[in-house]
Amino acid sequence: MSTLGASATESREVRARSEETARLAVEQASYAYSPTRRQIPTFTLSATSFQARQREVVAILGPNASGKSTLLQLIAGSLAPLSGRVLLDGIEIGSLDARTRAQRIAVVQQHAPLVFPARAGEFVLQGRHPYGRALHLPNEEDVALAQNALAQVGAEHLADRRMDQLSGGEKQRIILARALAQQPLLLLLDEPTLHLDIGAQVELLERLRRLAEENRYTVIVVTHELALAAEFADQVVLLHRGKCLRVGTPAAVYQRELLEQVFEAPLDVEAGPAGRPRVSLRPRLADAARPDGAGRTRG
Amino acid sequence: MAQISISDSHNAAGGGRERGALASVAAWIAIAALCAAAAPARAAVQADAAPTGLKVTDELGRTIVVPQPVRRIVSLAPNLTETVYALDAGDLLVGDTNVDDFPAAAKTLPHVGAVLAPSLEQIVALHPDLVLATNDLNRRATVDALAGLGLAVYVTDPLSIDDVLASTARIARLIGAGDRGDAAVADMRARLNALAERLADVPPRRVLFVVWTEPLISIGKRTFLNDALNRAGAQSVVEIDDGWPQISFEYALKLQPEYLVFAGSLAEANAPAADELSKLPGWRDLNAVRDGKIVIVSDAIDRPGPRMVDAIEELAHLLHPDAFAPGAPAGGSRLVTPDNREEARTACAR
Amino acid sequence: MRPLTMRRVVWTCTLLAGVLFAVSVMALKLGAVPISVSDLVVSLGRLAIGRTDQLPLDYRLIVFDLRLPRIVLGALVGAALSVAGAGFQALLRNPLADPYVLGVSSGSALGAVLALQFLPQIALATPLGAFVGAILTITGVYFLGRREGHLDSTTLLLAGIISASFLSAIIMFLMTTLTSRDVRGMAFWLMGDLSTPLVPSLRWFFLVALLVGIGAIYTTSPDLNLLVTGEREAMHLGVDVTRVKLVVYVAASGLTALAVSASGAIGYVGLLVPHAMRFLFGSDYRLLIPASALGGAIAVVLADTLARTIIAPTELPVGAMTAIAGAPLFIFLLRRSMR
Repeated sequence: MSTLGASATESREVRARSEETARLAVEQASYAYSPTRRQIPTFTLSATSFQARQREVVAILGPNASGKSTLLQLIAGSLAPLSGRVLLDGIEIGSLDARTRAQRIAVVQQHAPLVFPARAGEFVLQGRHPYGRALHLPNEEDVALAQNALAQVGAEHLADRRMDQLSGGEKQRIILARALAQQPLLLLLDEPTLHLDIGAQVELLERLRRLAEENRYTVIVVTHELALAAEFADQVVLLHRGKCLRVGTPAAVYQRELLEQVFEAPLDVEAGPAGRPRVSLRPRLADAARPDGAGRTRG
Repeated sequence: MAQISISDSHNAAGGGRERGALASVAAWIAIAALCAAAAPARAAVQADAAPTGLKVTDELGRTIVVPQPVRRIVSLAPNLTETVYALDAGDLLVGDTNVDDFPAAAKTLPHVGAVLAPSLEQIVALHPDLVLATNDLNRRATVDALAGLGLAVYVTDPLSIDDVLASTARIARLIGAGDRGDAAVADMRARLNALAERLADVPPRRVLFVVWTEPLISIGKRTFLNDALNRAGAQSVVEIDDGWPQISFEYALKLQPEYLVFAGSLAEANAPAADELSKLPGWRDLNAVRDGKIVIVSDAIDRPGPRMVDAIEELAHLLHPDAFAPGAPAGGSRLVTPDNREEARTACAR
Repeated sequence: MRPLTMRRVVWTCTLLAGVLFAVSVMALKLGAVPISVSDLVVSLGRLAIGRTDQLPLDYRLIVFDLRLPRIVLGALVGAALSVAGAGFQALLRNPLADPYVLGVSSGSALGAVLALQFLPQIALATPLGAFVGAILTITGVYFLGRREGHLDSTTLLLAGIISASFLSAIIMFLMTTLTSRDVRGMAFWLMGDLSTPLVPSLRWFFLVALLVGIGAIYTTSPDLNLLVTGEREAMHLGVDVTRVKLVVYVAASGLTALAVSASGAIGYVGLLVPHAMRFLFGSDYRLLIPASALGGAIAVVLADTLARTIIAPTELPVGAMTAIAGAPLFIFLLRRSMR
């Protein structure tokens, strides 16, 4: 099976195949890292497996230092698994060259540190880089695709604005648009909701759902936001200290004892609308019993 | 909004167009660069015929061909300008530097710029037969550049008084003033010999020659200035061989020279009088300052040229007044004592 | 959205080339010895058709042996420094980077000082010594600037700055203690000086090496656009970050070594010309590299012409001029870009 370089026929075959098999298959992938050569490597991620189809939103969920980012990097292909493999449409990601990988996998960064002034339109056009040759000068098709990407995030009007003059939310949409311009099969996001208020968080995740549906992406989101993952994910991969504890729908994964053990916080899990679990902080028994002279009540 | 599907034929067509454009741009740059590089190569000029003239070796060991007779001279150092005038050949000079100030006629000559940064094209435009330079002041790069343009550059490199006398004689022969040169050299030698006889039995004074006060800079043993001092019956106390060493006050205090010697131009700037120096820390601990034994000599002592013997004689008179017939020293030298410091200041400001 | 087209690149470069041509003709005309434009045109015409022997000796010497090589050298050095500066600004993701920040000029200066001290009589020794010093510094800083086997921008910057300081200290020590009178000329070298023509045997090597260096950086220009948004992000877009960083490091350092060996450390050009070009034409490196090359050539030729005419017949070193003009220009650019 020739995997190096994307020829026209091969990519069409690949896309046809994707209807039947899982788009993304992570099979017993693990990763270890040692800070210096002498120390014994510590496993940042033990053997993890899950699968994802097109149009699916997967949340990789866990507290800090649980190995979420490592798993995402294994999927993105920037790290090679110590054991196991990661397959995209049946092909090992590690065997793809950088150019092909960039045509199939798009990573949405959290922010863009811009050293030199750039316009939003130029920034989005950079997403077409994996498809160009020599000087990668954009042709009409590239421009059309970039404008399309901007439209999909509702930022067409920002095309000529300078990046440093945009608000945080606008900038994030432009960054997302650049990833869309890559026309990927996989869309990866690492903690995209970190600096957003709740309204913006919801807007982003709704947009991701919509894009997954319309463009047939497989969207992988790394997050520690329990509520958002419950609401928007089709599948949740629960990680804890480098181990994958559970894979499944939010309802299947969100078991109270399990979540409490992983997140080390008192939690309550209820069934919510549409079969999705609702998580809330359990009131402390001590507070509930304390008489409150100021008249405040606790529910 | 649905995703637009792409065709991979995009790569081939677009890439080909870009590659063609890149190639043409590269070709354009190459052609332009070749033209630019070729121009000087084609215009490379040496004199059309082999240069004729006198073949000599200058004091740096370079072989040069000096056209004869020499009608136009450009001098790149003040002492060389003075030398040419002293050989009665001032009318051959067509250009000198900004700082040439002696004799007065030198100031009116066309200037070619600073000693370290002369204008090469100005020198070329004056059509000199001979360019005079000295390794003491001029940059080797300047000399090489002028030689590369086909000019004859004679570089002097005097490290002692004898070297200067030899230079003078050779330059004189080069420019067709051999007789005057020999006569001048003989005269200077005679005066130096007479001075040596006078000072034969006199122990030399231990002096510190001060080039600069802050920081304290003196002279090395293997310099022209040191030789001049020796001939004037002085001995520099600084035991360092080369160049212009910067020394510490502790070192000077340990040596405790009998006299401090300043050259004229510095005196004009600072007019160091004994009691002024005696107020400064470090200086005031020197015996020479306390005793008022500060000597200011004309700065001709640092110019390897015709006036150096005058300066040496004057310094000798100042340091060993008893060895000479009674009489006031000539020229611009003064022994500054607390009594005549005002006089000295005004005299030096001349 | 106005994406960059090849047409825009070519037109901009043609415009800048035209400005360079005009500036060069003016530089040929001006100098301590005045030359009229008509005489100049006639001489250039005669040169073009190969009848150099018909020219008066004056013109041949002054215009073609002194001024023209000096202008060409200035243009090439300006191009090299500007492209190197633009390259380092991308490599280090720092708008304050200039060609000397990684210590190349200090190592080169050390080589030149040692050559001047020990081999003053060989004209070739100084540029070669400077070049060797530069290469050794480039290699040393490369090995210091590596982390886990590849170049890391922050480590590289630190290694370069430390090397520059250390080498400068050695140079200061040498200049105080060395006695050779030829070391006096180092002051000119340290400021940047074009008055010493490049030794003819080195001219072709210089030109070819320059074109190779600029060309190599130009081939990475689309990658550099991505690299400045972040290394990991560039990698995810298909850029071979390790290879690109190595190519830019070697090419930009090599260009700096060439420039500094020929003319000393001319300052401000490598820092400011890329910024001025960004201000005029945008930050896209596919246009910025050729624009910086041409802009740098224009800047140095202009500065050198001023340097040799402003207090004629004394010639200022060109580095003095770029420093005097550089600071106000930088302030102007800064204020305009903040609006």
